[in-house]
Amino acid sequence: MNLSARMRNLLAAIAYFAVAGIAIAYFLINEKFEWIPESALELVREKDLLERPEAKRCADCHTAIYDSWKKSRHSISWTSKTYIEASENRSKEKCLACHIPESVKGEKPSPRMDRRDEGIYCVSCHFIDGKMNGPYDLVAPPHPTYRNPEYVRSNFCGSCHQKTFKEWQATKEEDTCQDCHMPRTRARLTQKMGLNLLHKKKWVGDHRFLHGEISEKDILMETSFQENFFNISLLNKTVPHGVPTADNGDPRLYLYIIFYNSEGEEVDRTKEILAPQQETALPFNKKVDFRYRLFDPVSRVNIELKYQPAWSKEKELVWEKTVQP
Amino acid sequence: MNFARTFLIYFTIAFMMVLPVHAKDMVLKEPPKSLDQFYPPHSKQPKWTQQMHKLSNHFGGVFINLKEKDFENVDKHADKLVEEYKKTSEMVPEWEEYFDIKAAEAFAAAAKTHDMKKAGKASGGLGKTCGKCHAEQQVSVWTKYHWPSFHKIKVTDPSSEKEVEFDKFMKQISGSFKSMRVNFGEGQYGKAAKALRAFKSEYMELKSTCSKCHTTDDVKRFYVGGDAEKAFQGLAKELNAEKPNPGNFWKNVGLVGKTGCKNCHLTHRTYSMIKEVWEEK
Ligand code: HEC
Ligand code: HEC
Ligand code: HEC
Ligand code: HEC
Ligand code: HEC
Ligand code: HEC
Ligand code: HEC
Ligand code: HEC
Repeated sequence: MNLSARMRNLLAAIAYFAVAGIAIAYFLINEKFEWIPESALELVREKDLLERPEAKRCADCHTAIYDSWKKSRHSISWTSKTYIEASENRSKEKCLACHIPESVKGEKPSPRMDRRDEGIYCVSCHFIDGKMNGPYDLVAPPHPTYRNPEYVRSNFCGSCHQKTFKEWQATKEEDTCQDCHMPRTRARLTQKMGLNLLHKKKWVGDHRFLHGEISEKDILMETSFQENFFNISLLNKTVPHGVPTADNGDPRLYLYIIFYNSEGEEVDRTKEILAPQQETALPFNKKVDFRYRLFDPVSRVNIELKYQPAWSKEKELVWEKTVQP
Repeated sequence: MNFARTFLIYFTIAFMMVLPVHAKDMVLKEPPKSLDQFYPPHSKQPKWTQQMHKLSNHFGGVFINLKEKDFENVDKHADKLVEEYKKTSEMVPEWEEYFDIKAAEAFAAAAKTHDMKKAGKASGGLGKTCGKCHAEQQVSVWTKYHWPSFHKIKVTDPSSEKEVEFDKFMKQISGSFKSMRVNFGEGQYGKAAKALRAFKSEYMELKSTCSKCHTTDDVKRFYVGGDAEKAFQGLAKELNAEKPNPGNFWKNVGLVGKTGCKNCHLTHRTYSMIKEVWEEK
């Protein structure tokens, strides 16, 4: 055998072992991680991950989840302009617990002292008793993990969304907060080159914590004229909590009702403010009735529903309808 | 441990009651600026309050341990008390005069004799220094650091949907309330009904302000809760009737004014008035 042939063989052998090594590693990590001895894992652990690092550090591997979280309201719960305003420049102590939580464990958290600008970040939600808690039973070489069934339950979100959780619980619906606000897609948990290939794809919840959309299908309306009165009833048909819903925020629906006479002139206008803070939000699957006295003859009524989120002063149109007697 | 806790509570209460000021006039002075650094937003935690808890725990700790004859801990608490007391005296220069380090040391020495009677007697001198400051400063401190400011709260005017200052909103709501009453008095029921609509929506808007200071919805049972709701329904019923009944109308006006406006003013406005004076300066 000449040298180059030997070289080729050697290379082939290395390639073989590398492939086999990866295959074995892949097999071990995804199928039989309980075979990996703790002492081996100790060697590859990255200790600083257990010292409550900033979210950016988690992004070294969980890049996609980080990018989503960065777009979420949770990432700005402390720096949000409207929050700063409402909390009198963040001096109200009662407000800290849910906006800069130390650790989420199914009850109202305690406020933390460090890294406040990170708001509600990875460590707040995942780091409990020295381990990254999450929905999976898996092995993550860089840090210990722990499968905690709470992560797929509404109760987890209810630690802070306490009022919304109570509303949801009362509906007895099965869909959890995560089902609607963290819809899952099949993807890798990590994007770090190498690591990502060693771990199988899994279901990943959307860490943008989607706000949720409402349309005509969700809020149904019926109207009727009755002597000197005009009646409207609204029904929240699909959302298993008040619409809108809030803890300390003040999101609102505005219902504008404008009355016109046969000449097409406006004769009266009124509005309803549907807001959790005013205890007028639309409850799940329960009709809410409004009744208006007609002071003048009316031949057309125009009705508009607009929505304004807690963190904005802008309203957007949900739907608009015209009805006649 | 229950005994210890109960004792501590009694101790604190007794000691706050035994040492009031004797003058009949109470002067509320704005707390010194140098105290700011021990309260949010300047500090992450209310450090002054925490310092008070330390003083009170060590003070109480001496007596609890004397009772339990745990003398090692009596000595520990006595030393710690002097240490923390000294530290406290350096926190706010304007308040240095309130402290009497000698009294604290005398108390610690008495405590270390492990004689309950001696310790009790010596506690009076030290306790007085705590009491004098509390009598003169505590209400001011509560008002300045624990009462959020109504002047910084904005309310959305439900009609224009613009944000207005809280006190301006109060003038507005007071105007709508009046407009409804005057129109009703004049027999202009249609106008009164429209004024009620404006008044009610403004009143309900007040409910949106509670959560800017309170974190439970329970408080909304007061002033803006069921009683107010019922009174508004009563008003609407009269104004939508063919022949409104004045007796019922005025009864409900009284209910809104008393259980709503007045009671909320009694709990919230006092502090707001004091703050206003300080903020004007
Ligand atoms: C029990 C947990 C909890 C506490 C305590 C809490 N909040 Fe919040 N806050 C939330 C949750 C959950 C949301 C998101 C849902 C909503 O809009 O209410 C929120 C949202 C908000 C919003 C709207 C979002 C934004 O950034 O503008 C504001 C403003 C706000 N809170 C202010 C406060 C103030 C002021 C306090 C103290 C008086 C406070 N919060 C205390 C849980 C809490
Ligand atoms: C060096 C890479 C790396 C870094 C940095 C990292 N992780 Fe991980 N993490 C992993 C790997 C690998 C997995 C397992 C992936 C898989 O099995 O698909 C994982 C899994 C997880 C899980 C799932 C746990 C479960 O049981 O469901 C959570 C939660 C998690 N990480 C949180 C974090 C947080 C929070 C940080 C930042 C403090 C962080 N990780 C930083 C590599 C990393
Ligand atoms: C540590 C407390 C906390 C936990 C736990 C928490 N949230 Fe939040 N959430 C907040 C706060 C505070 C805000 C408001 C942030 C802001 O806008 O300033 C918020 C905002 C939101 C929003 C945006 C609301 C809006 O008005 O746009 C959604 C959606 C949301 N959370 C869903 C969830 C879901 C789903 C979970 C459970 C997986 C969850 N949250 C867990 C505190 C929490
Ligand atoms: C408000 C709390 C909250 C925050 C903040 C948060 N997570 Fe999560 N995370 C969850 C919940 C709930 C799940 C379970 C979602 C599911 O699968 O239904 C989860 C799941 C995960 C998983 C497992 C994959 C999955 O989606 O099930 C990883 C990995 C993870 N998070 C990492 C992170 C990282 C990294 C950050 C910061 C960039 C972060 N999380 C921020 C609540 C949070
Ligand atoms: C069946 C799907 C569904 C479930 C389950 C669900 N939500 Fe929602 N959620 C929505 C939709 C749709 C919206 C948008 C409508 C609205 O504004 O209320 C929304 C809005 C929100 C908002 C934004 C505030 C607002 O303006 O109303 C928060 C916060 C929220 N949900 C929290 C939760 C929490 C916490 C849970 C679990 C206790 C939960 N949701 C369960 C569908 C859902
Ligand atoms: C120089 C003034 C001053 C002196 C001296 C002083 N205090 Fe205070 N103390 C205060 C003020 C101001 C408050 C109100 C603090 C607050 O509510 O944030 C207070 C509050 C307290 C409280 C109630 C804390 C709470 O959570 O409401 C206790 C207990 C207390 N002090 C104990 C003591 C004891 C014991 C001493 C003497 C050994 C002492 N204080 C001496 C000014 C003083
Ligand atoms: C500017 C801040 C602020 C606003 C706005 C406010 N409160 Fe209060 N309120 C306080 C403070 C501070 C206390 C003292 C006790 C405490 O902190 O809870 C208090 C005490 C109370 C109490 C008695 C004690 C308690 O806490 O149960 C009730 C009842 C109450 N408020 C109801 C309301 C209602 C109803 C609203 C809305 C219509 C409201 N408050 C708006 C600051 C406020
Ligand atoms: C949240 C509880 C609350 C309720 C309910 C309430 N008020 Fe007030 N009101 C206040 C506070 C606090 C102030 C002091 C505002 C300030 O100092 O800026 C005030 C001030 C006022 C003022 C003086 C405004 C000025 O600056 O000259 C009037 C007038 C007034 N209120 C009328 C009413 C009437 C009429 C009602 C009932 C229809 C009412 N209020 C209901 C809390 C309340």
